[in-house]
Amino acid sequence: MISAARKTGLVFFPAYDWAISPTHPEREERLLYTQDQVMEEGLLDVDGIVEYRVRPAAYADIRRVHFCVPDEAAVTTESHFVSAGGCLVAADAVMKREVESAFALVRPPGHHAMRVVHGNRGFCNINIEAVMIEHIRDTYGVRKVAIVDTDCHHGDGTQDIYWHDPDTLFISIHQDGRTLYPGSGFSNEMGGPNAIGSTVNIPLPPRTGEKGFLYTISELVMPLLEKFQPEIIVNSAGQDNHFEDPITHMNFSARGYAQLNAILKPHLAVLEGGYSVEKALPYMNVGIIMAMAGMNTTTVKEPNYDTDYQEQTPDITRYIEQLVTALHHQFVAQTPKEDINRNGKILERRRSIFYDTDMIHETQVEKIRRCRDCAGSLWIDSTSSKGWRALCIHLPKNACPSCEKQAAEWADKTPRKVYDRAFFQNRKKGFYEVL
Amino acid sequence: MILGLDVGGTQTDAVLIKDGRVLAQVKTANRPELLDTLAEALSEILADIPAESIRRMVFSTTMATNAIVADDLTPAGMIVSAGPGMDPCAFAVGPSYHVVPGCMDHRGMEVVPVDREAVRAAARAIRDRGIGVAGVAGKFSVRNALHETQMAQWVQDDFSYVAMGHIFSGNLNFPRRISTAYLNAALQPIHSEFVTTLQKSLDGRGLTAPRYLMKPDGGTVRLGKSHRFPAQTAQSGPAASVMGALALDGCKGVTLILDIGGTTTDMALTFHGVPLVEPRGITLGAYSTSIRSLLTKSIGMGGDSRVRVDDRGKLRAGPLREGSPRALGGPYPTPTDAMVHLGLLPVGEKAAADAAMAEIAGALSLDSRQAADQVLCHMAETIALSAEAFIFSVNCRPVYTIYEVLEGVRVRPDSVVVIGGPAAVLAPYLEKAFGLPVRVPAHAEVANAVGAAAARVTAEVSLQADTQRGTAVIPELGKEYPVRRDFSMDQALAMAKDALTDRAFEEGAQTDGISFAVTEKEEFNMIRGGMRAGKNIRVKISVVPGIIPEWKFQG
Repeated sequence: MISAARKTGLVFFPAYDWAISPTHPEREERLLYTQDQVMEEGLLDVDGIVEYRVRPAAYADIRRVHFCVPDEAAVTTESHFVSAGGCLVAADAVMKREVESAFALVRPPGHHAMRVVHGNRGFCNINIEAVMIEHIRDTYGVRKVAIVDTDCHHGDGTQDIYWHDPDTLFISIHQDGRTLYPGSGFSNEMGGPNAIGSTVNIPLPPRTGEKGFLYTISELVMPLLEKFQPEIIVNSAGQDNHFEDPITHMNFSARGYAQLNAILKPHLAVLEGGYSVEKALPYMNVGIIMAMAGMNTTTVKEPNYDTDYQEQTPDITRYIEQLVTALHHQFVAQTPKEDINRNGKILERRRSIFYDTDMIHETQVEKIRRCRDCAGSLWIDSTSSKGWRALCIHLPKNACPSCEKQAAEWADKTPRKVYDRAFFQNRKKGFYEVL
Repeated sequence: MILGLDVGGTQTDAVLIKDGRVLAQVKTANRPELLDTLAEALSEILADIPAESIRRMVFSTTMATNAIVADDLTPAGMIVSAGPGMDPCAFAVGPSYHVVPGCMDHRGMEVVPVDREAVRAAARAIRDRGIGVAGVAGKFSVRNALHETQMAQWVQDDFSYVAMGHIFSGNLNFPRRISTAYLNAALQPIHSEFVTTLQKSLDGRGLTAPRYLMKPDGGTVRLGKSHRFPAQTAQSGPAASVMGALALDGCKGVTLILDIGGTTTDMALTFHGVPLVEPRGITLGAYSTSIRSLLTKSIGMGGDSRVRVDDRGKLRAGPLREGSPRALGGPYPTPTDAMVHLGLLPVGEKAAADAAMAEIAGALSLDSRQAADQVLCHMAETIALSAEAFIFSVNCRPVYTIYEVLEGVRVRPDSVVVIGGPAAVLAPYLEKAFGLPVRVPAHAEVANAVGAAAARVTAEVSLQADTQRGTAVIPELGKEYPVRRDFSMDQALAMAKDALTDRAFEEGAQTDGISFAVTEKEEFNMIRGGMRAGKNIRVKISVVPGIIPEWKFQG
């Protein structure tokens, strides 16, 4: 019997009875051929690869992360709870040391879902990685977590959730936002005033190939992780950077993805996007599973790899080298400067957020308490084009007494009349209250 | 009358069934040669019975199992076409294993044709080693059997038998397909010889009725047809026991079946009279195969398990059998000795059993009757704990739809049926350990032979239709049919049912004994460029293991 060098958990949930719409990329068929390939390769027979059964997540799991407006039931379906629950199962398997690493091969995805949820953005309603990470923090006492989002689209939802959190390093490698949805993820987006430098965006040019991805991982991502020293590394393993993907323009491959995973060695990988359901996903997922299990992946490739894959061109290589050098200088060699002058001040920003799938416009006024000691208490006034206006107060898990006081004051004193809903997400005391 | 015969590890059980009831039963000790064992059991059970009154015979033999475990297989060559994926060299099996270029993708589209010259060269290399049988296996051959068929065609004149992987199972699992094809090739010569000799000896006794062999999926196959798929007659014993429990008890509701033997206890589950199956296939010795099998779990706890008291003064039993019970001249105390000591089992030397229990009692500071009682309690509790783990693992099986996650039926037995030698003695102890009603059917000690006698033919077919490709493939029949773009699930089910009926009759099924179960039924729209390009339909349908219609349930 073949055995894995690293014991690896697999949570497979293809949601064969759920689609956004019959012809949507996020449809029943999406993981069908992946399942075929994984079964046919006999990966589940490999000694050291363990398949787990999913369980649905609970409301309490979702409420550690999100403010669902008007409530959870209105903006989710059962599938979101099962998909998030799949990540929880994977996390438990790793944290209880039943396996060294685990892959949640689940759908629907989650990395475009932000802290406040009015509906579906970029095929996502619930941020399944964030739900998983906050579960890990609450259950296993982990503090420092790094997320490496390799989906072709900027992980703007995850970025939003961890924007103010200095304990979470969020690195997103994606196709340049000037050329692809959601149009964000530039290198000047590097975290809120309490967490400057804990968000790192690496916008790669269209047609980036194996060489560019692997170069970026080795020369930039690994040094960033070395510097941050996370207890847990999570890979948001979107697979839409593949050369066959119908909705993006990158040039990655199954073999490249397997190598990336072997370098990164994430504790947890979570499937995100990836819509070349027949020509890419089966091979990429097999490559990822085998790489996580420490198996030899040199024989894994797409059947059309030799004929259709094209090497990255020299101009792209040069561009990426320059980009990586600049970002290395900015984030690794130096540390982005902390904003020390405004301590204790309430800082405000206004944003407009578009939900492409559900065609919703949201406007937010956000207030954060600038704090040197914690992630800062957060106040959000969110209005959506569906007509809901919600007040969302968030107190971080490691909040300092001053921020705790501030959050309590907001909860007490913010005039409630203008809001349809008001929520208090108290991560420090571990409750979620509908005010 | 129907004759059922099950060859076990050390002894053989035979029964005669008349008018749906057990008429006679015998146990005989095994001989070194299987055919001698069969001859002796037949002579005993048929002592006063005219040969012509036997209408049907079913044998559960250890021929294939023993050959596999003792590595007494005929050398067989393998030719494998894989394409990209896991390195096919990792699945190498047998003395002459060859990988040839060729690639088929998950939809059954040919990516790279299989290389005829390489196949011919592999066949020559195999033959040059004096090997006379071979197997061929291709990745995704259950989606499109072209490569396997071609390979078999190109080498058929070189070998007396060529096993094609797709015939044996419609499951997706390339490594298991390789070992299944290999085992069938490697068993074919000895199996054919065994069948021929057995047929002659039965003819010689004037036993001319239809003959069947038991399979590990709880079904039977006609002896004369079994050479097509010899490996599916291996490891049929546990399935015979399950079918015996089913025949003798009826197994209503959710039932845990325990077959308690000398060395092990085998566990199985039935759900409203239908046994649960092992989804991926049976493991035979070192080979993981795709051969259908009932889900059974064997634990090292039986009447002859060694009993001892450990350093911390705790009672231990199993998992090893280290010889016979003391009462039968063995070296160590066993649960059997406890039963003999308590006067519950009239075998062997009572004095030896008494001494054995006195030893245990000394170490536990109890009197010997209390010690014997504790031994049996401990045995029952150990079995109950293992059963708990077994049921837990069944309930941990992954599911792939929201419906199953949220509505998923959990297996929770509501009763226990115990068969095997010590069944009746242990029943009260088990009742306490499980906290569930425990039943011991009549003839529990020969349930395995009853199961063989009463089991009906089983068969399974898989169908995958891809309307964009315009094909429906039924790998087990080696058939591919053209289908139109509007091919529907109803048509797929009808086509699969026809195929299954053919297959079941071919294996020897009787017309009135077939009931179908659809075990997989999935339909996907294939969307390309935002448009529906076709449908992908998957159906698996089987004749579930069951009891022949003439059997009369006594429960």
